[in-house]
Amino acid sequence: MMDASVVLSSIMGMISPAQIIFYMLAACILLSSLMVVASRNAVSSAVFLVVDLFFISAMYASMDAHFAAAIQVLVYAGAIVVLFVFVIMLLNLKPEAMKGIHLNFPEAAVLVFTFIGFCVIAIAVSRTGATGIGDGNMTAAAITAAGGNTYVVAMRMFTGYLWPFELASFLILLAIVASVVIAKKEPKIAGKKMDGDASLARDVASSTSAGH
Amino acid sequence: MAVPTENYIVLATFVFMLGVIGVLYRRNLIMVLMSIELLLNAVNIIFIAASRDLAQVDGQIMVLFIITVAACEAAVGLAMVIALFRRYGTLNTDFLRVLRG
Repeated sequence: MMDASVVLSSIMGMISPAQIIFYMLAACILLSSLMVVASRNAVSSAVFLVVDLFFISAMYASMDAHFAAAIQVLVYAGAIVVLFVFVIMLLNLKPEAMKGIHLNFPEAAVLVFTFIGFCVIAIAVSRTGATGIGDGNMTAAAITAAGGNTYVVAMRMFTGYLWPFELASFLILLAIVASVVIAKKEPKIAGKKMDGDASLARDVASSTSAGH
Repeated sequence: MAVPTENYIVLATFVFMLGVIGVLYRRNLIMVLMSIELLLNAVNIIFIAASRDLAQVDGQIMVLFIITVAACEAAVGLAMVIALFRRYGTLNTDFLRVLRG
């Protein structure tokens, strides 16, 4: 596969294999992101999210960020989306309870122009590859010479970013405690029914009457 | 000839706009949380592209921290979803408006 693309690109003389990989991965990422947002079924969206995260991890690997690619698969695709699927299955959501996307024309136009604006601003602010102030010395060759991507990331993290690293571990502890406390079952109160929207209407009425 | 950084920025902007559309237009709370994960991934793509462009690894370290924060936020958000569903029996954002001003 790689030889065929190299031969093809040398014949055409225009695209390198890295660009072919980028465009293929970009098409897959956009397609799966679109399916995440546009699926009616929550489990379908979760599956498309896993696929999306795998393709994004492949894109990290193509950008020589090998450790980030591995962590993305392990943590994001392997733990976070599994948590989503657990909750979807636990709550047993019905597909017809979710509506699709309803976009009328003025909102769609605003979104399209905002997107074009973001792109223009981002490309205008980004660098075109010229070296300048703020350039590091960790080019791809330097990373390979220093001992690989994971080694360089680890050295930087545990020397320059040690304090955020410890804070992040404390944040994880906080999140664990918070999620256990929030999702705990309340003690049973006699006479309290779970009747969905009527209970919501009662709460809205009581909150608005208490606020005035 | 490497891929120019602008390609990654345009791709990440596309993914970010899809995530924004998902946050604004989905009526199920879990779908909103999944679209937030899309937003965070779009930003991750830009960070790694910038780290490659500036020849540093600080962008990749930032990506690790963003993944960590996303995990914590997903855990707490899903715990809230469970509590909301247990309390109200619905996850429709049209009806969950007790905090609405």
